[in-house]
Amino acid sequence: MSALVNVEQVEKSFGLPGGQEYLALKGIDLQIHQGEFVSLIGHSGCGKSTLLNMVAGLSLPTGGVVALDGQTITAPGPDRMVVFQHYSLLPWLTVRQNVALAVNAVLKNYSQTERQQIIEEHIDLVGLRHAADKPPAQLSGGMKQRVAIARALALRPKVLLLDEPFGALDALTRGNLQEQLMRICEEHHMTTIMVTHDVDEAVLLSDRVVMLTNGPGSRIGNILTIDIPRPRRRLEVVNHPSYYSYRSEIIYFLNQQKRIKQWRARKEAVISRHGLEKVNLDIGFVPLTACAPLAVAREKGFFAKHGLEEVNLVRETSWRGIQDGIIGGYLDAAQMPAGMPVWMSLGGGDNPPQPIVTALTLTRNGNAITLHKRFYEQGIHTLSQLKAYILDSPSRQLTFGVVHPSSMHNLLLRYWLAAGGIHPDQDVVLKTLPPAQMVANLTAGNIDGYCVGEPWNLRAALEGSGFTVATDLEIWLGHPGKVLGVREEWARAYPNTHIALVKALMEACRYCEDPAHQEEIRELLSRRAYLSTDKSYIHLGDPHRITCDLDTPMREYAHHQFFLGAGNRPSRTEHLWMMTQMARWGDLPFPRNWVEILERVCQVGVFSTAARELGIDVSYQRHPIQLFDGVPFNGEDPVAYLNSLPIKHDIYMAEVALDRRPLVLS
Amino acid sequence: MTTTLSSPISKSKTVKVDLAKYRDQILPPIIGIVGFLLIWQILASTNLIRLPGPWDVWMDERSRYLILHPLYRNSDLDQGLLRQTLASLQRVAIGYCSAGLVGIALGILVGSSVWMNRALDPIFQFLRMVAPLAWVPIALAALRRNEPAALFVIFITSIWPILINTAVGVRQIPEDYINVSKVLKLSKTDFFFKVLLPSALPYMFTGLRVGIGLSWLAIIAAEIVMSGVPGIGFFIWDAYQQNYVTEIIVAVVYIGAVGLLLDRLMAALQAKIASR
Repeated sequence: MSALVNVEQVEKSFGLPGGQEYLALKGIDLQIHQGEFVSLIGHSGCGKSTLLNMVAGLSLPTGGVVALDGQTITAPGPDRMVVFQHYSLLPWLTVRQNVALAVNAVLKNYSQTERQQIIEEHIDLVGLRHAADKPPAQLSGGMKQRVAIARALALRPKVLLLDEPFGALDALTRGNLQEQLMRICEEHHMTTIMVTHDVDEAVLLSDRVVMLTNGPGSRIGNILTIDIPRPRRRLEVVNHPSYYSYRSEIIYFLNQQKRIKQWRARKEAVISRHGLEKVNLDIGFVPLTACAPLAVAREKGFFAKHGLEEVNLVRETSWRGIQDGIIGGYLDAAQMPAGMPVWMSLGGGDNPPQPIVTALTLTRNGNAITLHKRFYEQGIHTLSQLKAYILDSPSRQLTFGVVHPSSMHNLLLRYWLAAGGIHPDQDVVLKTLPPAQMVANLTAGNIDGYCVGEPWNLRAALEGSGFTVATDLEIWLGHPGKVLGVREEWARAYPNTHIALVKALMEACRYCEDPAHQEEIRELLSRRAYLSTDKSYIHLGDPHRITCDLDTPMREYAHHQFFLGAGNRPSRTEHLWMMTQMARWGDLPFPRNWVEILERVCQVGVFSTAARELGIDVSYQRHPIQLFDGVPFNGEDPVAYLNSLPIKHDIYMAEVALDRRPLVLS
Repeated sequence: MTTTLSSPISKSKTVKVDLAKYRDQILPPIIGIVGFLLIWQILASTNLIRLPGPWDVWMDERSRYLILHPLYRNSDLDQGLLRQTLASLQRVAIGYCSAGLVGIALGILVGSSVWMNRALDPIFQFLRMVAPLAWVPIALAALRRNEPAALFVIFITSIWPILINTAVGVRQIPEDYINVSKVLKLSKTDFFFKVLLPSALPYMFTGLRVGIGLSWLAIIAAEIVMSGVPGIGFFIWDAYQQNYVTEIIVAVVYIGAVGLLLDRLMAALQAKIASR
């Protein structure tokens, strides 16, 4: 089906006083189909109203084409009726006269009586019969907007354009009007474009939400399809399992835009000191027990000790934030899930390949798989029992939460399921959620289990909402958890800073490993700046004091390992294993040039230099990886290994070129 | 029982309200006027100013005759003050109405066309600054007769506020209304009568109200200068020539009262038409 409204490569700039030009919109491509409800959302000044006005024809693009039904839009017309934020009713006319003015002006080929009928019909449609002879000044805001909507609909437009229609209304009126609008649009199969600031309004009303980045040169950052069945009801929609993920997706986008703006405004110069190229660093982390080395390096002065005097730890709520921060260039370095450097280098998540390097493995272990307590009560305590349960109840698909496609949790959970004969994409559903939202989603019944880092497994167990079905001990003891990641170009530009950073964090890791410091670190992590959670949920070692089960003594628990000497070295074999797992599930192609990519991702040289200068012995012997199912992985022939796996997605192979032009900050 | 008890209470309440209203609304102007007359009388009787006081105006035979006989008529130039005032008002009506028509038409033209605005605005701003009295010799030179010259002076004095306010009103039509008419593709006449005119109406009335005050000021000035036409301005000039100061004072009272009345009239009209 061809699109009703076609926006192609549209650009809009305004002349500024003083002869300069302001580029408001750039490279906008959007197709809107008959009967679709599309919202435009973005921060003030992002050009969303400008885009709407160009569809209306009230302003014309300076580049590109806006077309309706294949006809280029060059002037305003009643087939694209606009409802403005401030109603724009003529105050000297009554409600009926306002509607009549429009109907008489537009529907000229209708007879007098037909027009009369249309006018009355639409006054009834918005329930304003009792106010038909009142001037707008005697109406409330909500009633005025209803008149404006009636006036627009009476003209039978091809597209209805709404410019923040409910922005000036109180919450209660807004809610009622949203429902009325939704009902009317559904009944008339109206194609609608709405500009809004309100995230909930966008999710409630739209089929698709178009998110615009900040100006100048705003473009479409993302388009979210809202797959919630209609008719929708305002109070019921919030109970749809996807509602909050749609909502948080939009809020994440808007927050990200705000931060990019702040970052642009800051534009701090690079500060060089002590022979280091850059001592002012923004380092991203996600609040997890595993962020301990970063917190310690800052609070105990290890950063400063190595000359990094102006380190700012940036708390992100999700790994997606870390990913965007690194790509956007407003994070210098970050704590990353172990798989992220490879994943981003290979162009994961449909991004262009962004070479990321790692010179330090920050933590090992500390992950577990949690199932809802319901399974425990039904006697499902092992993988094979879970498999039997899934076979028994094919009607209900289980949903599991993971934190990021590239995280160890995703890869381990998939591996664990597949080893038990469960296909992670066909037999169950995997959903990406931020770590801190896992327990809440488990309790709400949106997911049946998850694989995540501590403290979230322990917390579910202590709260009694879930139980730990498998820990690192049962999957892969000593697997890499989090690593330090930086952009490759960053590492090239600031080589000495990179080494200093690795040194500071290695010392912090060593500090974390000492059992004598445990209490201090637990207290530190529970602070607002870090995990902001109760200390009792944070445990670093000594598993035997903690219960992980609902009522039986806990399973053996592999606590975080922060410092292992050679174990902190970025291991090519491990990264290769992660590469094979990403290819195994069709997330990424397996790179034919995997040797080159591993060589570049794992900056062993930086690690060795740092260790040597700290006097830490990191002599090391390569050995194969051993997982719980006994299948060894030695990294000699990854393709043969992939071929030997029974449960997998189709494997794609490709040459991945890393040296594309680095992505410019958007 | 209760009803008989409650009714006197409510009655006394309404009386109280009326009293309060009387005290707040009517008393202050009366006190003000009486005070003003009193001070004037004191100043006059102590010879601090060489003007007759209000008492002298009343006692003077000529001026008392004028006050008590506003409608007498002996000849064109010797009539009662009400007749004189009406003659002046007639002139104002003609001059002011033509100023209103031309001013609104030009104002709409200038307000809706940027080009016309650029072309005409300097001329308007220049002419606006010329005092009414300066127009008198020009008008007399150009038109050669007293009557049309007087009308012209009224016209030229009162047109500027009307024109400029109308232009502003047209320029200030809210963007929203213009967008609506663009989207609806309203015809030119529809746009003019249904959007432009009603939207600019409050501005026009502001201009008209300022204009009527100015035209009343102008007519007095014009009549004083161009003698030989019946009217209250000439009456004052005539009385001055013959040193009847009390007569001048009576005429001034007429002028002030008429000016006040005209302004109130326009205000009432404005409230009625433009308040919607």
